[in-house]
Amino acid sequence: MKQFTLRGSADLYLGLLLLFISGVMYWYVSDLEIGTVRRMGTGFFPLVLIVILAGFGVILAVRGVLTKSVRVAPITLRPLLIILVSFVAFALLVDRVGLILAIFAQVAVAHFASDETKPAQSLLFGIVLALLSSGVFVGLLNMPVELLP
Amino acid sequence: MMETLGLLGHGLFVVLTPENLLLCLLGAVFGTLIGVLPGLGPVATISLLMPITFSLDPIGAIIMLSGIYYGAQYGGSTTAILVNIPGESTSVVTAIDGYKMAQQGRAGDALAIAAIGSFIAGCFGTLIIAFAGPPLAKVAQQFTSPEYFSLMVFGLVAAVVLANGSLISALAMIFLGLLLGMVGMDVNTGAARMTFGLIELSDGISFVAMALGLFGVAEVICNLEDAATRGLNSSRIGRIWPTRDVLKSARGAIARGTLLGSLFGILPGGGATMASFSSYALEKRVAKDRSRFGRGAIEGVAGPEAANNAAAQTSFIPLLTMGLPTSATMALMIGALTLHGIAPGPNVIVRQPDLFWGLIVSMFVGNVMLVIINLPMIGLWVKLLQIPYRLLFLFIVVISAIGVYSVNNSPFDIYLMIGFGLLGYLLRKFNAEPAPMLMGFVLGPMLEENFRRAMLTSRGDLMIFVERPISLGLLIISVLLIISIALPSVRAGREDVFQE
Repeated sequence: MKQFTLRGSADLYLGLLLLFISGVMYWYVSDLEIGTVRRMGTGFFPLVLIVILAGFGVILAVRGVLTKSVRVAPITLRPLLIILVSFVAFALLVDRVGLILAIFAQVAVAHFASDETKPAQSLLFGIVLALLSSGVFVGLLNMPVELLP
Repeated sequence: MMETLGLLGHGLFVVLTPENLLLCLLGAVFGTLIGVLPGLGPVATISLLMPITFSLDPIGAIIMLSGIYYGAQYGGSTTAILVNIPGESTSVVTAIDGYKMAQQGRAGDALAIAAIGSFIAGCFGTLIIAFAGPPLAKVAQQFTSPEYFSLMVFGLVAAVVLANGSLISALAMIFLGLLLGMVGMDVNTGAARMTFGLIELSDGISFVAMALGLFGVAEVICNLEDAATRGLNSSRIGRIWPTRDVLKSARGAIARGTLLGSLFGILPGGGATMASFSSYALEKRVAKDRSRFGRGAIEGVAGPEAANNAAAQTSFIPLLTMGLPTSATMALMIGALTLHGIAPGPNVIVRQPDLFWGLIVSMFVGNVMLVIINLPMIGLWVKLLQIPYRLLFLFIVVISAIGVYSVNNSPFDIYLMIGFGLLGYLLRKFNAEPAPMLMGFVLGPMLEENFRRAMLTSRGDLMIFVERPISLGLLIISVLLIISIALPSVRAGREDVFQE
């Protein structure tokens, strides 16, 4: 499977990721009441944490640029994207067409995450999984979900 | 002494109903079943199975959870021995000699000794909880918000010790977890915080979705990346009941491991991992012939297995007496208990004795169940490990999806899990361990609550944290801990322990 490697060190990317997250969170905290230490508002604690987290982001990013630390391990896009999409398929379908078809859909998508899977085996295993989970989750544990449309 | 025994008797009375025994057995079987799957560590296993307990009453749920906990812990050792894939850091050392034994056709010996060692250590650890828990809880009952705040700071700092990456990224992960713990409704004002306008987030981020995404989904993706993982090499297990000779040579190791583990487990910060590594080092040191280690020495399995189980047991002490989780797994247990309306802490022991003593007894029962399902039924788990990963991963993704969905019967939690799966994957690639994040997440709300309360009582004076002796002591230890980890010499030593 095709791999690609990110340039630069792991620390740099971790730092950027943390800065991104703190930025997004700041956007949502900025309109909350901050208050003072004596009378802390809703936004006080989150804001403090965001500032600290961003601080770590800066430190890590700078360290990543200045020093030669560990590199980012090669990334293979196929299993990553396909596994995540397979969950989306399940989530989209389970309330609409029932558990059994949602499981089939997820297995059908996830099948392509690996080179080693074989269509006949995956199909058979999908059927086993559908029967098994219907029996255990709906039959035994009374999960409130439709099995079929 | 007599009082404790009487209370234990009371616990027996609570637990030993056919229904509860069945729940414990089911928990242990399911825990082992999922825990034995390569690439699913205890955190993923427990979060996957937790939804099953939601429909039970609190006592039944706790009993089943403890079964799941033991099953999950022990399942990891089985995979470590049979396929050389340790489920989590605590069974890394078990794999060294255990897997060698399996290759030599002595897997039966290794598995049996691991089970027996775990059983002895588990029972001993439980006894310690029974005797040390109540007096410690009395001490903790005098804690007020400043003490609790400092205690949690200490717990989080200690959690850094268990992450074997860089200190800065581990600290960053804690703060990320704390911040994500703030998402949802503010308990004091009722205002929504960082919910991105989503109603589903007003109760906060579902920690089942978070734990499964970070530890389950991300792991599956990483396993699929390197195609050459897994596979059971030798299918010869050998006889399951060990000979007297094997038992004799493992005896000392089990005893030493148990003591070492019980001690380490009480300390916050990855007690179980440190315990198993130190036990391996200790066994190597006391052995007459050191060269056997790494080539299938039974002591190298017996010691660490006993140590990590004793520690897994005694790490319940800080949780039950002070509400302080010492590892990601314990953080998960807090989450599970909270969902059942139980706030772990000194009040559980005092006000809900049924629960506490019921839990103690179910720990004993869980340990017995573990031996039962692992010695005679080991063939079944071996069969399970022979299933190729190309099928197992389908099982894991489907079960994760259903498990997360079943918590609130909402697809939203699945999307959340997808997000955390991606985050967990990126963190792995960027060399940051997600375990401290989970601890921060669980402790975040409590940390804020206690900080705010302390600020109310002191009228905004931060000195309150250093004016109280217990709080000051905890903060000083935390600072010393950070300095000591940051110092180059200690850092080298810490890496040695993880590499050895």
